[in-house]
Amino acid sequence: MFLIDRRQMLALAAWSAAATKAWAQAPMHDQERALYEAAKREGEITWYTGQYSADASEAAGRAFNERYPGVRCNVVRSTSQVAFQRLSQDFRAGVGQCDVFSSTNGGHYVQLKRQNRLVQFRPVNADGLLPILRTPDPDNYFQSTFLGIYLMAHNTRMVSEAEAPKSWTDILDPKWKDRLAVGHPGFSGAIGLWALQMRTMFGPDYLRRFERNKPQVGRSSIDPVTMMNAGERAVGVAVPSASTLFAASRGNPLRLIYPTEGVIAALSPSAIPTNAPHPNAAKLFQEFQTGPALSAAVRLLFNESIRPDVPPPEGSRPLDQVTMLAPSLEAAERGVPEVREQWREIFGV
Amino acid sequence: MAGTRPGRLRRLEPVAFLWIALIAALLVLVAAPLLKLLLVSFEMQETGEFTFQNYLTAYGRQRYLDALRNSLLLGMLSAAISVVIAVPMAWAVSRTDMPGKGFTWATVLAAFIMPPYLGAIGWILLAGPNSGWINQVWRAATGAEAPLVNIYTFTGMAFVIALHSFPLVFIFVKSALDLISSEMEDAANILGGGTWTTMRKVTLPLVWPSILGSFILIFLETIALFGTPAIIGIPARINVVTTQLWQFFEDPVRVEVAAAYAIPLLLITVGLIAVQKMLLSRKGFVSQTGKGGERRQVKLGPWRWVLFGWCLAVAMLAVVKPLMVLLQASFAKAWGRGFSFDNLTLRNYRFLLFEHDMAPQATWNTVWFSAASATIAAVLALLVAYIVIRRLMRLADALGFLAMAPFVIPGIVMAIGFYAAYAGPPLSLYGSALLIILAFAARFLPIAYANSQAAIRAVHPEMEEAARILGSGRLHAIRRVTAPLLKTSLLGGWLVVFIVASRELSAAIFLVGPRTRTMSVLLYDLTEQGNFEVVSAFGGILLLITMAIVGIGMKLVGRDFMLRRE
Repeated sequence: MFLIDRRQMLALAAWSAAATKAWAQAPMHDQERALYEAAKREGEITWYTGQYSADASEAAGRAFNERYPGVRCNVVRSTSQVAFQRLSQDFRAGVGQCDVFSSTNGGHYVQLKRQNRLVQFRPVNADGLLPILRTPDPDNYFQSTFLGIYLMAHNTRMVSEAEAPKSWTDILDPKWKDRLAVGHPGFSGAIGLWALQMRTMFGPDYLRRFERNKPQVGRSSIDPVTMMNAGERAVGVAVPSASTLFAASRGNPLRLIYPTEGVIAALSPSAIPTNAPHPNAAKLFQEFQTGPALSAAVRLLFNESIRPDVPPPEGSRPLDQVTMLAPSLEAAERGVPEVREQWREIFGV
Repeated sequence: MAGTRPGRLRRLEPVAFLWIALIAALLVLVAAPLLKLLLVSFEMQETGEFTFQNYLTAYGRQRYLDALRNSLLLGMLSAAISVVIAVPMAWAVSRTDMPGKGFTWATVLAAFIMPPYLGAIGWILLAGPNSGWINQVWRAATGAEAPLVNIYTFTGMAFVIALHSFPLVFIFVKSALDLISSEMEDAANILGGGTWTTMRKVTLPLVWPSILGSFILIFLETIALFGTPAIIGIPARINVVTTQLWQFFEDPVRVEVAAAYAIPLLLITVGLIAVQKMLLSRKGFVSQTGKGGERRQVKLGPWRWVLFGWCLAVAMLAVVKPLMVLLQASFAKAWGRGFSFDNLTLRNYRFLLFEHDMAPQATWNTVWFSAASATIAAVLALLVAYIVIRRLMRLADALGFLAMAPFVIPGIVMAIGFYAAYAGPPLSLYGSALLIILAFAARFLPIAYANSQAAIRAVHPEMEEAARILGSGRLHAIRRVTAPLLKTSLLGGWLVVFIVASRELSAAIFLVGPRTRTMSVLLYDLTEQGNFEVVSAFGGILLLITMAIVGIGMKLVGRDFMLRRE
């Protein structure tokens, strides 16, 4: 580790801000420009998203508005399962309201694709994504737009670094009874992935044993961060690194724990539903999400950059130094609803 | 002046057309969504074939049955706590010389204005087992390990709900008490009854309909509540009907199963209303007549301070404490760090007002959806109540039933009725403002109706009959005689509907589209992340708006509406 003094820090911050601006103003390529012209006639794009936190989603929306004046992004942020529920309701009512759908649960896309509810489109910018994110779907019905790292964290005033759990199985120890907090797979897509991954790695008994420690159940995976800030619970399970680092930057005594087995990585796509009311603006938004402007905007709120040409956020471990665990999209489609049902039987809610 | 025009035209009252329009409106608002709900509960998904399978699915699991039982218990408990809290307050303010009546009114108003989910968040900050302020103080003071109070329990949840429902009991019971003239109490006193006996045997029995009515209202409100069970119930591991219904709407959206799950609830509440009718039948509760009556205050002596202490305690629990922690959180960088100058920030407000894409839009939506639905509900309710009480039509009771019917299903299911009936083709109203306004109007019609009914019931027809004898038409008589007598009650009803609509969550949650989100839905979305600082700030903005509206209302109707009647 190297030390940065205050002056260097300021210089770095200034560079970072300047660079962000530069990315936001990066010239448009031809496809992007054509889409922008078409999108201007549509005027707006409605984005159902459960990927980035509320703050980061709003920041992304503003970055889009700045880059493409005349096209307005309506940010509709909720947990991923709720976003999917709203999309399902739209389809059932036969009323198209969503232009781009972004969920942390990749299984949603496999299902939507099978139901012929997605538009085929490959943004040019997708070629510039991190190699693991470049082709989530060979048929191009959905594109990667989010890389979320879900791990553990602790309140350093309540639990010392030495005492803190090190692995996903440490938290099954009875000494953590009444001290854990976690989101809910019925709301959070990431918690669905986490529960599925735990079941795959440690067997079907994992959740039952986890329940015996009476974790506090919230809805979003971000909820435990608040519980730790407040001192309500000492350890957050499967919390996003971005929101934890953001909370820590605001003065909360939080520290990330990279579990020995690896972190849950949500490599999550976005897609355009077939009934999108603003199809061109939707495509433009996909260009925006896969391009540098999105990564540049969300990294300031500690989210991972999804492009090699935009540096990762400050304070998180470089991606090549962490083991990433993730169920495949196909496994998620089948497994998440299953594990959600199992969860409800075990937890009662 | 159409009503005073002499000749034949007078006999052909235009009012008949109005009644027809009224029936049509009730059919659209209430009957059609309910009917659709019933039909859908017997339909197979996709094919639409007739089936009982939805009922088997809806009640085929222990977890689903537990949720139903939890909801019923929660409704009873919350309503009971509300009555216990509010009846002494209403009596004290209306009939006694207790000091601080203005303060008590302000308390009731504030508790009522505060959305229940906001109160729930305030109480999480106050009574979280480890981090809640009350428990921190308790631990510091006593050195105890165990928390003093825990919000994440069944009673905790019922208590928080009651703290924001009791104003309904207060408003109903107090307005009933206000109408009783002291002569009836004097009669009891002359016959040897003391203050307590009189209150028990004369005063309270006279307001029995309002107590019972508000108990049922709160029971039904509580089982329809979605926000508080989602915010407190999930961490407390208590599943209730509304959170269970939410699960039925997860993909694949099983409207059919949800409808089936809701139908028995409908039967339970129909039963409740039947019981209410039975209990109140063949008893006269008319207390306001064309004759004047004197109203004097009961002198309580030292007991008035006991009653005031009670009101003060309620004020602390329902308003002052939650509001203080919410206020602190709304200006905090991290609320868990408590109050300190380096923890102060305006960032939460700035984020909502200038950086958040939806917050300003949602704020505006809330104001105008609430105003529009309150107006629709108030007008419909007045007319229906008038018809029912004056028995102007053979089917009057059916109309009254329709106006009360929206309360027999949780708001969330009401919303699904609307979703099923109007969201898709041919009307395709999903995502439009109209859909939400209609749903709100329908959902709160019973409040406006109960309000109008109580008001009209208390006005003896003799005054109106006098006008009719002097040649006035029906509408003219309503406009010139009845309406002015009811003016304050009606505006009161309008304000009540406005306030409950502005905080309504469970009916909105399934009907909002991206452009029609209300503050309540946005707040709910924000609570998912547990970001209580921003949530508190948004709640603060919501409270400010509601307070402004109430202030305007008070100005327009005069202080006597909200303050005591001398």
